[in-house]
Amino acid sequence: MPEAGGGSSRNPSVNRRPEEEVIERRRPGRAQASDLLARLRKPAVPATAPAAPAAARAAGARGVDQVAADIAAQAARFLPGASTGVETDLFDAGLSSVDAVELVALMARELDVRVSLDDLFADARPRRLAQRWAAAAGLPVTGAEAAAPAATGTALALRSGLLPADDHRASAPQAHEDIATILADLALADRLPFSRQAEPAEPRRILLTGATGFLGSHLLLDLLRAGDAHVVCLVRAADDAAAEQRLAEALAGYDQPWSFEVRRRVTVLAADIRQPRLGLSEERWEELARDVDSIVNVAAAVDFLRGYPSLRQTNVLGPLLLAELAMTGRPKPLHHVSSVAVFNEVGIEKMGEDDPVAHIDRLFAGYDKSKWAAEAVLRRAREHGLTVTFLRPGAIGGHTRTGVYNPADLSTGLIGAISRFRTVPAFKFLNLAPVDWISRITAAIVFDPKAWGQNYNLTGRAETLPELVKDMKLAGMNVRIAGWKDWRDDLLRRQETDPVPELDFLVRILSSPTAVKLFEALMFGPEAGSERTEAFVARHRLPPAERYGSEAQLKAFERMAENGVARLPSREDPPYLSFRERMKGQVGPVGEERDSSCRLAFTLSIASMYQVVRHRRIDVRGQVVCERIHPEPLTVVEGEIQVRPDEGVPRLHSNDHPLLRYRLVLEDRDGNRWWLEGFKTARARRDLWKQTRTLDIAIGREGEPAVLAGVVKVPGSSFLPDQIDGIQVDPRLSSQEQRLAKLAWLSWFFLQMGAGLAEPSLRAAAELLDLRRDAIDRDKDKLARKIRKLMIQREQNR
Amino acid sequence: MTLRPLHHRLGERVEDIPFTASDGTRLGLTRVVPDGGAGERPAVLVLHGLTASADMFTLPETRNLVDVLLDAGYEPWLLDWRGSCRLPYNEGRVRYSFDDVALYDIPEAVALIRERIGGRQLLCVAHCIGALCLSMSLAAGLVTGLDGIVAQGVFLTPKLSWKTRARLHFGGELLRSRFVNIPTDFKKVGLWSKHSLIFAEVSIGAECKDPTCQILHNDSWGVGGSLFEHDNLDTRTHDRLADLYGTVPMWILPHLRSVELAHTMLRFNDNDGRYDALPKNALDNAGKIEAPLMLLSGSDNRFWFDSNKICHEILTARYPQLDVRYVEVPGYGHLDTFIGRNAALDVFGPIVDFLDECRTVKAGR
Repeated sequence: MPEAGGGSSRNPSVNRRPEEEVIERRRPGRAQASDLLARLRKPAVPATAPAAPAAARAAGARGVDQVAADIAAQAARFLPGASTGVETDLFDAGLSSVDAVELVALMARELDVRVSLDDLFADARPRRLAQRWAAAAGLPVTGAEAAAPAATGTALALRSGLLPADDHRASAPQAHEDIATILADLALADRLPFSRQAEPAEPRRILLTGATGFLGSHLLLDLLRAGDAHVVCLVRAADDAAAEQRLAEALAGYDQPWSFEVRRRVTVLAADIRQPRLGLSEERWEELARDVDSIVNVAAAVDFLRGYPSLRQTNVLGPLLLAELAMTGRPKPLHHVSSVAVFNEVGIEKMGEDDPVAHIDRLFAGYDKSKWAAEAVLRRAREHGLTVTFLRPGAIGGHTRTGVYNPADLSTGLIGAISRFRTVPAFKFLNLAPVDWISRITAAIVFDPKAWGQNYNLTGRAETLPELVKDMKLAGMNVRIAGWKDWRDDLLRRQETDPVPELDFLVRILSSPTAVKLFEALMFGPEAGSERTEAFVARHRLPPAERYGSEAQLKAFERMAENGVARLPSREDPPYLSFRERMKGQVGPVGEERDSSCRLAFTLSIASMYQVVRHRRIDVRGQVVCERIHPEPLTVVEGEIQVRPDEGVPRLHSNDHPLLRYRLVLEDRDGNRWWLEGFKTARARRDLWKQTRTLDIAIGREGEPAVLAGVVKVPGSSFLPDQIDGIQVDPRLSSQEQRLAKLAWLSWFFLQMGAGLAEPSLRAAAELLDLRRDAIDRDKDKLARKIRKLMIQREQNR
Repeated sequence: MTLRPLHHRLGERVEDIPFTASDGTRLGLTRVVPDGGAGERPAVLVLHGLTASADMFTLPETRNLVDVLLDAGYEPWLLDWRGSCRLPYNEGRVRYSFDDVALYDIPEAVALIRERIGGRQLLCVAHCIGALCLSMSLAAGLVTGLDGIVAQGVFLTPKLSWKTRARLHFGGELLRSRFVNIPTDFKKVGLWSKHSLIFAEVSIGAECKDPTCQILHNDSWGVGGSLFEHDNLDTRTHDRLADLYGTVPMWILPHLRSVELAHTMLRFNDNDGRYDALPKNALDNAGKIEAPLMLLSGSDNRFWFDSNKICHEILTARYPQLDVRYVEVPGYGHLDTFIGRNAALDVFGPIVDFLDECRTVKAGR
């Protein structure tokens, strides 16, 4: 962790304790950026304030160059091991979004250089930050000319000596600056050579970038599965060994195998698509150009807050460099994972695979612009003869089988917010598909030469608002629909009063004037057309796009809940549905006569239908009256009922199939704790009604064996009034929702009880059936009858 | 008795070991000799499922389990127990039960292998009914001293869907009284056969036109369920499913029914002193399992469903001393975990990782 508040040594008179505490309180992985943001939103301290640091008072006297160098020095504290110059893009160098919040605070405090967080995200080169600050302060923005950015640009660009010269536009509005930079980047594509189309042959050696990312890691495995090809992965690292280590860790993080069988088909090279020749030696570059017969580019900087200048190296110049590699030597197809973000123009009417993409001047987020520009340069490369395939996913959902999800995907934040606050923004369509489907279709396209050179929208089947609302209703997690702006304001308000660190990234997007446009386009965009993808899927008999509904996203949702992003209803919430259960019976010391009365008065509740259908669990509250333990009633501190525990597998050394298992922790008035375990079991007898009401219980002191055992029973007279007529449903639900809740619960519960009660009887019936003659016996009889008939005929013939 | 030759591309490395169980049943045991000899390699006994055979581990058209085990430094031993389609018993009229497999086939094969490998380590990879029978042998204490066990699909706690239960246990009764067995190869049946009605039934709603695929994938033997994910098979494997999966004997139904309805591996022969060595309930005696155990299942297993997940939960709760883990392979069904086109990548990798771990633990002791 960077040394927070370390600037105090420069001016001990400044009280920085509050900010230092905020930074220091930050736990690993649970950055409380919202605290810092809140602090940053406070009005700036007037320049004349007595507490202003001396360094700050002198800021105006410094030139842009000096301020840029100071900013770079401050930023270096967040980037140990990285060389940070005034032309280094701090995000490219590894600065995280949370670090960015802290850096803005440090710059204001230590250097008296006040820039907004949006300024930093728009262009994170220290020189540009200094120029922005100077322009805002009315100071001269020019300093000594920047050294030639030797570490940036494509190999192509370096050869031609052409790089966008943007330093002189320091005072121009950001949007215009971006367009000028984009135009300059587009011009780079003209420098590409001309080449033949790639040979239409199944690839044997594939170059893959971005294998450490969410989609890339899945795609790596799907490429291996789709054919017999060897895959060369380019991974950013100091050397090949470190690159392999990084890939192995990334795959493990996404639940992907890195076994001996995978390793034997993968080569990992340390490389960086932002560097000339990918950061490879000339020999390796030539070797790749010669040996590789297909290039798949998944690598991208996916950050919706960063500006175009900060993203162009990875997202635009990287693909351009790969295009050059594809055109060097034997022509190779380039399959570029783009995004439907190229259509992210608010109000766009169509998003078909071959429809015109958005107008660049109507895109706001740097990410959208960078994906747009990448397609534009590669379209130019197509005109030069390169076979380029555009693969455009929308939002990428979690894996339908493993549940692995991308914490940085907008859909993750959206699902998290909806599940927490039970309010859903009134969106039109969500172009959302699971990562496993996108990855599999992408790999199939890479292996089918007939599919190359086209555009594919890998958006799956769009989610609609009514479908989402219905799913939530069925899961017992009913949601309210709100207008988009109200929903956003409500979310920001909630986050301010009761911050959820896991939703910080979503809040930052919703607070950013540019990134919010991206979100808005996601909410109100049309359903992406995907006719070509559908035809391809049908032709290859691949799994068709299906709705990424509640069932498909269940595992991902559970993982999100585990990680605190989403929230599942719990025992502490107001119950979705509850009812009473009263039982009475006799208990006695274990193995002895039952001589003491025992009464149980419970309130059974569920927090959602999800809880019972998925986990078969019912929550228990209430009291146990058992004078053998304590003269006063014991309170249920913790308690749950498991419905058909272990799927009805008989209990140890028993033939009885468990129907319900009660597990409670009780506390008596003296503070002593007890455990109670009880089973309702199914036996092959005719007293089924009794079986569903009879509970065998054992009670013991906490951590000790049972001291009491006995049987309690729900009186037949109280069952219907308590457990059916007496069901209470969450009063906040509408009457229709309440009826649905009651019916869903009863249907599910009685089906489970029926299945459980049937088990022992079915076994008995099967034992009877075992006595029947089988085909061998019958055939023997038939044969005997035939022989007898023949004998008789022979006798008669004689 | 003839044993159909093993289908493989292993050349001279395959050694057939004559093996007859003590009840007089001739079985198949094959050792695959690694290049350069076995040396100190641990041996791995591989058990197939009912109606399958050792062929399922030596598919020449894909990278198979034997290839992977050899490359990973093991010596594979393939047992064709009496339910193998390389043997004639499933098509005959002499009944057997899983008790015979648990009592004779597996323990005696293990003993024979031990004789041959001396003090080298012995591990076991078992599939489906092979694993179910192994669980009984282990619970009976007839197989001891293994260094690691992988059980795929089902182990001690079989569980089918309610639809399959209804059709197999009770609808299957009709089949049991009329058919001695049900073939999977339509060519052997012909159009005008009493079995053709079953093939007609399993073809309803099938996307694939291959009758053998239909009887395994679309509607397993007419009782519902599905034995593999169709897209996971190599076309060449798909086209020779009839060689890989043979006739299913109907007399096995009562034993299968009793264990599934009880959700527990049970001894079938109750009043027969020959089987007294087997416990009535294998799950109640699972504490005898000494070796580390990996329960494996495809996430989309539509025959045994989550049987192995349940088994893992129960073993963990009832026998906390056992070293047991559960691994779910995303996107796989049942048979394709071994015969799938990419099984080497997705399934054999984790299996070898586990075997390596067991091997290391042993070496470290």
